[in-house]
Amino acid sequence: MKKNIIMALTLLLAASTWVACKKDTPIDEDGLLITTRRECYVSSFELLGTDFVTVRAATAVIDTTAQTVKVTVLFGTDLKNLYPQFTLAQDCKLDPKITGKTDFSDLANPKVWTVVSGDRQIRKPYTVIVTVQPR
Amino acid sequence: MQHRLKYINYTCLLALSSLCMLSCKKDAPYATPVASDKLQNQAIKRTLGPNIVGQQIEFAYAMAIVPSKGKLVSCVAEASIAGAAGTYMENRSFYTASTGADVGVVVGSPSVTTKTTTTVTYTKDTSAATLRYYYVIPEEARGKSVTIKFTATASDGETISTTMGPYTIAKMDMVLNMKVTDSNLMYISIGDTAVYNAANAAAHAASIDLVYLYRANVTTSAFNHALVAPAADPQYLPGVTLPAGVNRTAKLLKVFNLQDFNLAHEQYGIYIDDVDFTQLDLTGDPNFAINLKAEAGVWIETADKKYRAYIFVNSVTAPKGAVPASAILSIKRYAL
Repeated sequence: MKKNIIMALTLLLAASTWVACKKDTPIDEDGLLITTRRECYVSSFELLGTDFVTVRAATAVIDTTAQTVKVTVLFGTDLKNLYPQFTLAQDCKLDPKITGKTDFSDLANPKVWTVVSGDRQIRKPYTVIVTVQPR
Repeated sequence: MQHRLKYINYTCLLALSSLCMLSCKKDAPYATPVASDKLQNQAIKRTLGPNIVGQQIEFAYAMAIVPSKGKLVSCVAEASIAGAAGTYMENRSFYTASTGADVGVVVGSPSVTTKTTTTVTYTKDTSAATLRYYYVIPEEARGKSVTIKFTATASDGETISTTMGPYTIAKMDMVLNMKVTDSNLMYISIGDTAVYNAANAAAHAASIDLVYLYRANVTTSAFNHALVAPAADPQYLPGVTLPAGVNRTAKLLKVFNLQDFNLAHEQYGIYIDDVDFTQLDLTGDPNFAINLKAEAGVWIETADKKYRAYIFVNSVTAPKGAVPASAILSIKRYAL
């Protein structure tokens, strides 16, 4: 009788542990941890040229309410081959992923990236507005 | 019970100690190696990076024979393609002094080079020496492979050989330290690997690919040292009146931190080889590169797609008083 009770309790413990563990490590489709953080913003923005040297004339101005990133690039920057770098709030990720050179030459239609919060529930699109330093 | 235990203990101890003795015996005593009584040799290649026409490939060839058997008589290096003028074998054997400097001791007569062979005949009684061989890569070897065969002869009649290679010779050329000056020597031709001033530019208009200029800034924005194709937007050629016929375009890719060792001669061990030019893809790249500084580089493809080159900016000098701005450029050029 005692043996049966102990066996049943052990089984119950094992089952509950197995279920509990699954809930503690939720991973999204990119293999990144899904946390409980709800912050969703861009904290800084960098733009590099083909020589991996910054092409920004000054620090990018980020408006988290209007969800825009305004950056002025140096005169003579090749806008077709730039490497943007976003610094996001903790646990956030960017959609679509930046995989290599990005073409910013279409100044009339600025590019939009969506910041996804740590809990993957909040999505905020940020527009990157590029202006070239005047001649 | 106690007696039995004691008995077991002592037996174990005996067994263990005998095992230790046996295991120690397994190691054979160290014996000093005995030198082979034959003539021996070894060669190493001392230069790194691509083998460019006009540059040297340096080898160190060591040869030795047991002194009781004889001494070295001669050393011959035979190249599959005859080396260019300046190919020689060092007749001194070097050792490193306590100061760290290499000191040479003359051991043979100056080398004699005939066509593909370079010979040094020993004049001092030596049974072991290392001689350096400098092969100047000839134009005939461009794009081909070269092998070098080293042969040593001893006084007892023995000879021994080592073959080094095959080494692929690069197709590219190199021009170092070309000076360009703002408003003077500013028209660069990759095809001619030469720089022209406004007076000569018109005569060579069809081959001019780039214009070098310096402007501290253009109205309000920084400009500095720049390499711009003649066909670029005039806003990138402020104050420049192009000579008649100078209107070619080019594709330029600005890079930094690519201090090719052959061009920069700095401490970085980066080498650009033929394969970097064949794999270069400049589609979508602009025809101007402004804001260049020292140690910057520019990949370029000419408009007629005949050449791809890498231009390294060795140094830049800002204008001072009446002296215009200038820059020193070094180019590695590859014919497609």
